[in-house]
Amino acid sequence: MSVNEPITSAVVTVTVNGTEGEHEVPVRRLLVHFLRDDLDLTGTHIGCDTGSCGACTVHLDGVAVKSCAVLAVQADGATVMTVEGLAGEELTPLQRSFHEHHGLQCGYCTPGMLMSASALLAENPSPSEDEVKVALQGNICRCTGYWNIVEAVVAVGKGEAA
Amino acid sequence: MSTTETTTATETTTLQKGYVGQSVPRREDKRLVEGQGVFFDDVKRHGMGYLHFVRSPYAHARIQSVDVSAALALPGVYGTLTGDEVAILTDPFFQIAADPGGQVKDYALAVGKVRYLGEPVAAVVAETRELARDAAELVEVDYEPLEVVVDARASLEDGAPVLHEDCGGNLSYTGVWEWGDVDGAFAEADHVVSISQLHFDRFNSTPLELDGALVEWNRGTGQWAITTNNQFPGFAVIMMAPAMRVGTDKLRMITQDIGGGFGNKITSHPQLVACCLLARKLNRPVQWTEWRTDFHQSMSHGNERWFLDTEVAVQSDGTMTAFRTKAIDDAGAYLRYEPLGGVIWSQVAPGMYRWRNLRLEFTQAMTNKAPVSPNRGYSRMQHLWFTERIIDIVAQELGFDRVELRKRNYVQPEDMPYETPNGCVYDSGDYPRALDLALELIGYDTVEQRRAEAVERGKLLGVGIGSTLDSGTNNFGQSQLLNPELQFSGNNEVATVKLDIFGEIVVTLGTTPQGQGHETTAAQVVADILGCDVDLVHVRAGHDSYWNSHAGFSGTYASQFAVTGLGAVKGAADELAEQMKTLASMVFQCPIEAIELADGFARIAENHEAALPFMALGAIPNANNAGFPVDPPPMNARFVFRPQFDVPDKEKKFGNLTLTYAMQIHACVVEVDPETGVYEIVDYAAVDDCGVRINPQIVEGQVMGATAHAIGAAMFESFVYDDEGNLLTPNFYDYHVPHALDMPPLKTSSVESPSPFTPLGTKGMGEGGGGGIHCVCAALQDALRAAGGALVTDSHNPYHRVWDMLRHPERSRDTVEVVKQ
Amino acid sequence: MLLREVGYARPATVEEALSLLAGNDGARALAGGQTLLNVMKQRAASPEVLVDLGKLAELRLVGVQGMTLDIGAMVTLSALMRSSEVEVSRPILAEVAATVADVQVRNRGTLGGNICVNDPTNHFPPLLVALDATMTILSEDGERTVSVEDFFVGVFETAVREGELLTRVSVPAGGGGDGMSGVTLGAHGTYIANAAASVDDGRWRIALGCVAAVPVRATLVESRLSGVDVDEADVRAAVEGLGETLDPPSDVHASADYRRSLTETSVVRAVLQAAERASG
Repeated sequence: MSVNEPITSAVVTVTVNGTEGEHEVPVRRLLVHFLRDDLDLTGTHIGCDTGSCGACTVHLDGVAVKSCAVLAVQADGATVMTVEGLAGEELTPLQRSFHEHHGLQCGYCTPGMLMSASALLAENPSPSEDEVKVALQGNICRCTGYWNIVEAVVAVGKGEAA
Repeated sequence: MSTTETTTATETTTLQKGYVGQSVPRREDKRLVEGQGVFFDDVKRHGMGYLHFVRSPYAHARIQSVDVSAALALPGVYGTLTGDEVAILTDPFFQIAADPGGQVKDYALAVGKVRYLGEPVAAVVAETRELARDAAELVEVDYEPLEVVVDARASLEDGAPVLHEDCGGNLSYTGVWEWGDVDGAFAEADHVVSISQLHFDRFNSTPLELDGALVEWNRGTGQWAITTNNQFPGFAVIMMAPAMRVGTDKLRMITQDIGGGFGNKITSHPQLVACCLLARKLNRPVQWTEWRTDFHQSMSHGNERWFLDTEVAVQSDGTMTAFRTKAIDDAGAYLRYEPLGGVIWSQVAPGMYRWRNLRLEFTQAMTNKAPVSPNRGYSRMQHLWFTERIIDIVAQELGFDRVELRKRNYVQPEDMPYETPNGCVYDSGDYPRALDLALELIGYDTVEQRRAEAVERGKLLGVGIGSTLDSGTNNFGQSQLLNPELQFSGNNEVATVKLDIFGEIVVTLGTTPQGQGHETTAAQVVADILGCDVDLVHVRAGHDSYWNSHAGFSGTYASQFAVTGLGAVKGAADELAEQMKTLASMVFQCPIEAIELADGFARIAENHEAALPFMALGAIPNANNAGFPVDPPPMNARFVFRPQFDVPDKEKKFGNLTLTYAMQIHACVVEVDPETGVYEIVDYAAVDDCGVRINPQIVEGQVMGATAHAIGAAMFESFVYDDEGNLLTPNFYDYHVPHALDMPPLKTSSVESPSPFTPLGTKGMGEGGGGGIHCVCAALQDALRAAGGALVTDSHNPYHRVWDMLRHPERSRDTVEVVKQ
Repeated sequence: MLLREVGYARPATVEEALSLLAGNDGARALAGGQTLLNVMKQRAASPEVLVDLGKLAELRLVGVQGMTLDIGAMVTLSALMRSSEVEVSRPILAEVAATVADVQVRNRGTLGGNICVNDPTNHFPPLLVALDATMTILSEDGERTVSVEDFFVGVFETAVREGELLTRVSVPAGGGGDGMSGVTLGAHGTYIANAAASVDDGRWRIALGCVAAVPVRATLVESRLSGVDVDEADVRAAVEGLGETLDPPSDVHASADYRRSLTETSVVRAVLQAAERASG
């Protein structure tokens, strides 16, 4: 759908975690605020104001992006997956691996980490330690020092998660 | 890779061998990996208004006027709050300092003056976040800029701009701390090494979640419900309630999940008061979210500290007998938790060493920068860094081996428990053994070979040691050493454990965990005491003052949970166990000694058929209590853990200030590019000893996190101000924190030296004492020995500083002198 | 963190985009948004209208025509890394793209956006100067090509005028050898100093980032190196004195002097890298 005259608010159709919906949003609303405040999907977090920390990472049309650097209106016609959409009845092997390897402490960066890691694993099912670090380079953690997180993701690739 | 050694264990606990000591996976994880954690900004209330603070663009200015009329006229704006209103509705916050610092007037919003860039001046509440932000831009503030002072040394000089006129100057606190015979030790010294300046830089832990709250006002009861992430609610309400002229019970503090604290979420009470006033004024819930730039500009910087004119007395065999120094500490624009930093360093006055004669003149000043607050390692880290710099500089100047000098001067295991010159008691530890472990992990004996090999690649290699202490469980009586009028002493924490009507075990804590796994470790302790499966123990998430499960010092800070929090849990669980056995003995008409708790039952030890499941025990007092001649115990226990402390001697500044001393020894290898000053940590080892470890995996996680923070502070992180008081590192763009690719390989190991002073033999841990800063400094200095021999005299060593040290080694070398040969 | 009110349009064709850019005061193209949206969060810039180029598939093409590699302005940095045309014809572009920030930024951030911002610390301006790129700019009046010399004009300013759109970047396919080196604030972080070098048949193009509003050509160094087989000693000799000719900024990460020194080192390393690739 094209928008060929400037508008300040729009009705967007977006499929989030498999559910399609129509929502009116101000153009200036960031995707992360749309998810958190309009859709009550508060698993996606905000940790900075310069697009640096990655706590807001989601999948937009299957690709890991920082939802604080995308306008909600840009997600019109797209699919979005957030952390709430990862697990079905059971936690995914990735989520279980984070748990087993103590890859989270306060849990604030965790949704973003999971979204970046799951995007990596979808493309590269058995990543090396370096490949994992590159994939997580856009996700800041202040609690763990990253070592256990990297180990958790590598372990999934090796099929070690229970 | 992680290995553990245990030193001689003493019998300190009645726990059966069970969950304690195992790396039980955390129960917090499920909701967090599902994105179902509840952080304050996740909470919504009908009709809530979003708050945005108008903040000062000047570091120092008089406020001539504040005009909110344009903001109020914007559709969707619910209301505003200004400093004038705050000055009428509230009293200034209580000050810990005696005069002159005690005369600081600190309010929820700037009153009359602004004293740091980013200081909140007014607040706007609106229907949406965006509107609140827009409206904030419409508030007109007329400022008269004043001269700015950003250096604590300059702020103490005559003629410096004064921040708080009522204080008469910028001094907050000054005192001389001296023990032993310092002059005598220097007179008798074989060598005296003088170091004119050491500087510990200003940074903090930048927890990923910012501060914030959702505050609801109940007009009928006059009570506020404050859903927030403040990590020391005990301190917050002591500050807020008198200022707001209400009883502390009117302030219900609620936290659930907190996205990191590290001490940086202790002093949000001014903003919380602003939220409370607005919630009452507007009669609607008010939500405040701090943004990253706000946090960097205004919240919780770590103490910047200079150590000037240091002198160290050393015997020819390397025994260090005395040091004296002048510490100047920068508190920023307001004293909130300060000047406690002025005494807290003395918990580790001699560091890990056996100095018996010490003199430290501590002077704290205020400057036009963000107010400081505790930051991971609070005030001990700065001092321990100072002691470690002394070791390395003395070793280099006098030709001692850095390892041998440490071992010679360390407090030895046979000295434990060791009373320091100022009466603190180091409970246990084997420092030399831990050092050996760290050196083994780092491959110390291959360093010279690696150094030569690095030279082939054009790099300078260095290895450094950083030994440090993590003192935990404060005796708040130490505050009286700064201000004898204060009525604070000791410490406490609370827990409750009960059986519900269907036998469910429910635990509440007074703590406010920010990722330390309290729910899990508390459950481990309870399960072992009650003899049941750990999954049956339900620990409520977070903190709520409505639970009456807290006391004056409740919160999560200062490396104490494993002692105070788990001490309270143990106490409550022990009491509940006693109640359960008593009830079972009533039911079975047998002596209480015959009853055991095991496998989820209270049963006769000699006859397992006579067994009551927890459901039965819970039901009896709750729903089925007739027929007992004596009251059946209620299956509900509340325990206040109080560590044994005396009020310290204020005259001599002497006494036990902390219950436990965890220890970490870090070692690292760096490679420096001599052309650019760019360097990399290529190898890293950390050994920790925090006594009995309830959950080794959680402990190791804390060691890792502290290491990452220290590496960030050593290499990248600093709050840098220009002369106008502008913060040049106000967000993650310029304030670089380590990302995944910045981390070195890490090896860890543990020693367990149980504390003789705690219910479980545990020691508090988590802060980590800045060990990474100490060892990176040491490694850089070692690397530079081959290229000019500069001495590292700053805690923060970004590439440009290393480059300067390479080009001008004399600048640092000239600050050090062996005055007595 | 919260943007001011702004208008938004999402054209379906390049013509529509041009019409919107020309027809609305204060209209700005929204490419990947990784810079612009963050600038708008700080309220440091607040365009009146954002013209979202996201649907313009014709700006996302990569192709080789004869001896020229053409990259659409909206090609993301991730796409640049995955492109087989880029890998075969000018791999340095993909290598440098891989060092920009992180995956999330690269998934949205575009080559066009990176150079149109013309932030002195950005990766691609100096690299494209070294590669002698040509930019194609479209407006309602037609298409024009601009040499890389003329493209970077001033502080955050390029030759793209109001109402115009950068549509593609073209670089010679193949070439001799390319190199880029610098010092960043942490791994894959912002550049503190950098240099890009390209050699073809003994002729050098060396461009310095981070020292001025626009990339600076190190012409004296280029001429000293010209036509000569270089080893490290020769390169260092050629670079000597470069720093004194520069007037770089001082900031919290580097003094002007430190930047001068880092720039000299970056040139040496970029040149050696380029020389090695040219020979091997």
